[in-house]
Amino acid sequence: MTDITEFDFEAEALSYMDQLYAAALRMTRNGADAEDLVQETFAKAFAAQDKFTPGTNLKAWLYRIQTNAFINTYRKKQREPKRSDAETVEDWQLAAAAEHTSSGLASAEDNALDALGDDEIKRALSELSDDFRMAVYLSDVEGFAYKEIAQIMDTPVGTVMSRLHRGRKLLREKLRDYAAERGLYEKAPMKKDQKDKDGGVCRAEA
Amino acid sequence: MCAVPKPECEEALDRLFEYIDHELPEDEIHRIGEHLKECPPCEAEHKINEKIKRLVNKTGHDVAPEDLRARILQTIRATRPDGA
Repeated sequence: MTDITEFDFEAEALSYMDQLYAAALRMTRNGADAEDLVQETFAKAFAAQDKFTPGTNLKAWLYRIQTNAFINTYRKKQREPKRSDAETVEDWQLAAAAEHTSSGLASAEDNALDALGDDEIKRALSELSDDFRMAVYLSDVEGFAYKEIAQIMDTPVGTVMSRLHRGRKLLREKLRDYAAERGLYEKAPMKKDQKDKDGGVCRAEA
Repeated sequence: MCAVPKPECEEALDRLFEYIDHELPEDEIHRIGEHLKECPPCEAEHKINEKIKRLVNKTGHDVAPEDLRARILQTIRATRPDGA
């Protein structure tokens, strides 16, 4: 009965199950809830399959359904206090220039990262708030473009960029902390002292 | 020595995540790429952030449990319009 040229919604949708499950694990931070969330996502997707336009991005469409289901069901259940969304593009742009660290500190940090395990990366990610965690996950693991993340999270592209900037900064900070706890990395001294040493120096001109 | 980052540094650091995420137009990719080659502090930032992205990427590949797959297939079969 199936025309060979017909779009096979079922097969296509099911091919994303592992990815949706992995994302659900990051969203809910809990295996049982992740399974329920994926099941709900597929039930909703199949019920709404007439609304999907073949040729458009099915993966992003499924992630959108899952993200909505997560927000409506599980986030309420977890009673996580909703973040105040005072995220603007401007403030991270202003802060960006401060990241020019000394090359000695940077290479120590770079080396320390190699010594961290998957569990530590997962733990750091799980400690981010929902919006930051999902933005980072959708970009870094799923490779979605900013525009797609904006559609999935139902938010402007500027907000996606802000969440990525803040989420990644926090993630990096946590990884530095873990590395410091394990004695792999010595955290930077106070910022003002750094300036007097070699911090903030553009070595290209040295 | 420049005690504060140069304007090129500011542009590179402002756009670093977009650079890493391949979200920039060709000319900006080129300009920032050239700057990273000649500015070790900016390149160090680039390397660290790219490494963290790679580490996060490595963690994301869980496989759905078999019984979840079975349950979902069951749900789909129940909702198929032709009942197949």
